Amino acid sequence: MTMIDEEVLASALRETADSFDVSSEAAQRILDQMRADEAAPVAGVTRIVRQPGRARHVFMGAAALVVALSVGVPLAVHESTTPRTIVHGAIAKLPPRTTSAGTPLSEQKTTTGTGFIVKVKGTGTQGSSVSPATSEKIESTGTIGVRVASGHVQSAFNKLTSFVTRDDGFVDSSQAVMGSQTHGSFSSGTIVLEVPQASFKLLVAQAQEVGHTTSVTTNSNDVTSQYVNLQARIEASKVSLNQYLKIMTQATSISGILAVQNQINQIQSQIEQDQGQLNVLNHETTYAELTVNVATPGHHIASTSRSGLNKAWHDSVSGFVSGFEWLIRLAGPVIFVLLVLGALYMLGTLAWRNIRRRRI
Amino acid sequence: MDDLAQWLEEGYPQSVRTAYLILGNRADAEDAVQEAFLRAWKFRNALAKESSVRPWLYRVVVNTCNSKLRQEIPRREHHDPEHDLDTTLANNDIADRFAASGDVARALKDLPLHLRVVVVLRYYADLNEREIAIAIGRKPGTVKSRLHEARRRLADHPALRDSTTDANSEEVSG
Repeated sequence: MTMIDEEVLASALRETADSFDVSSEAAQRILDQMRADEAAPVAGVTRIVRQPGRARHVFMGAAALVVALSVGVPLAVHESTTPRTIVHGAIAKLPPRTTSAGTPLSEQKTTTGTGFIVKVKGTGTQGSSVSPATSEKIESTGTIGVRVASGHVQSAFNKLTSFVTRDDGFVDSSQAVMGSQTHGSFSSGTIVLEVPQASFKLLVAQAQEVGHTTSVTTNSNDVTSQYVNLQARIEASKVSLNQYLKIMTQATSISGILAVQNQINQIQSQIEQDQGQLNVLNHETTYAELTVNVATPGHHIASTSRSGLNKAWHDSVSGFVSGFEWLIRLAGPVIFVLLVLGALYMLGTLAWRNIRRRRI
Repeated sequence: MDDLAQWLEEGYPQSVRTAYLILGNRADAEDAVQEAFLRAWKFRNALAKESSVRPWLYRVVVNTCNSKLRQEIPRREHHDPEHDLDTTLANNDIADRFAASGDVARALKDLPLHLRVVVVLRYYADLNEREIAIAIGRKPGTVKSRLHEARRRLADHPALRDSTTDANSEEVSG
């Protein structure tokens, strides 16, 4: 094996490198620039953003972690502390609340009989003692069955419609069935009514006066903590967004701008999702929903009390639906955590590549 | 930190020439050293952890050159060949004196970057293997093997076949 002579190599490199003059003014100019930069130090965040390589990646990673924690922690706390009421699965973790009148706010009443069934679903704020600033957001549901005399289904519908329109509500939907032996009149029907939460109890009482009440089922669900958590999460996200917007104005490199823009896009997307959920909650807590099932004698409407195979089948369906709902609820935080971990992994990969590039 | 400023001022010419041998272009070398010095000044607090200024500063210069070769120079639309390593030597009035240097320059440009860097740091900047290891962030053993590989490749280069010695009769100095 042959090797190049070291002396020859060193001599040739010296001659090659010394083939031109290097101005000492350039060095002085650089030193002047250094001292000028030192005399006008940049602000903390700006200085970090302008730093190349590892420091910037570490900073960006830390910023991403802060955002993840600020959004993820409230989410996790919400998931672990929010009381839930699952009507179908008969799971009620919500402690009973009372209105100013002392009536349990979360209640479920069922009266069985024959004839007319009214289902009530209400949402909104209950209790006059609650201040507007901390008003509780309540969602209520219920079912009422009522039996009326033959040929009086339509008049029952008319009465119920007049009740809701008088209370600033409206009819969401209605459906009536004409029986074979009712001579041109309806034998049964269902009407869904929307009323302001304040009129919910009154409407339930009025609906029972339309005919002979066969069953009543009401259910209330407190979504206040969910509502407050959403608000807090939106506020936290907005604060983070403002921080990143400030950082964006200071970023000088393309990679820095892209990294910050990526974070901004994620936060904006999260804010829009949360705002959408908040809007839905707002809507649901504005109006109550009341479904009234009307029947005439001899025409049976699905009863809320079940037994035997029927009950087992419905319990099975309810369990399946509850499990599915649980999966959907769980999917949100899991996807969010995966996204955050993915972002951190990408940042870590970038930082590692940067470190490796520095090693020739 | 006045010592560092003085060191930067005194080490500027040799840093430019080192970067010139690595990058192969004088304008790129001056840009790289300017950027490297500004970075060195900005991160001068890290110098307190290092035992020696010289290899630390070369590390910054080498990193900057490496960054330029990987990111900036390949994407450049316009290239000025006037200040290229081989062009400079070919245009020199005393071309005969630089004939051997021109051969070395051509062979050097054909070396892979990781080998070119250790050759320049060892045989031009006169760093020992330990200092080179600091400058490129590798172990001294890696430096030694790279130097060996670089010298072997240079010896095999068509332009330098006359400047070779038998490896069996010589140890790689360090």
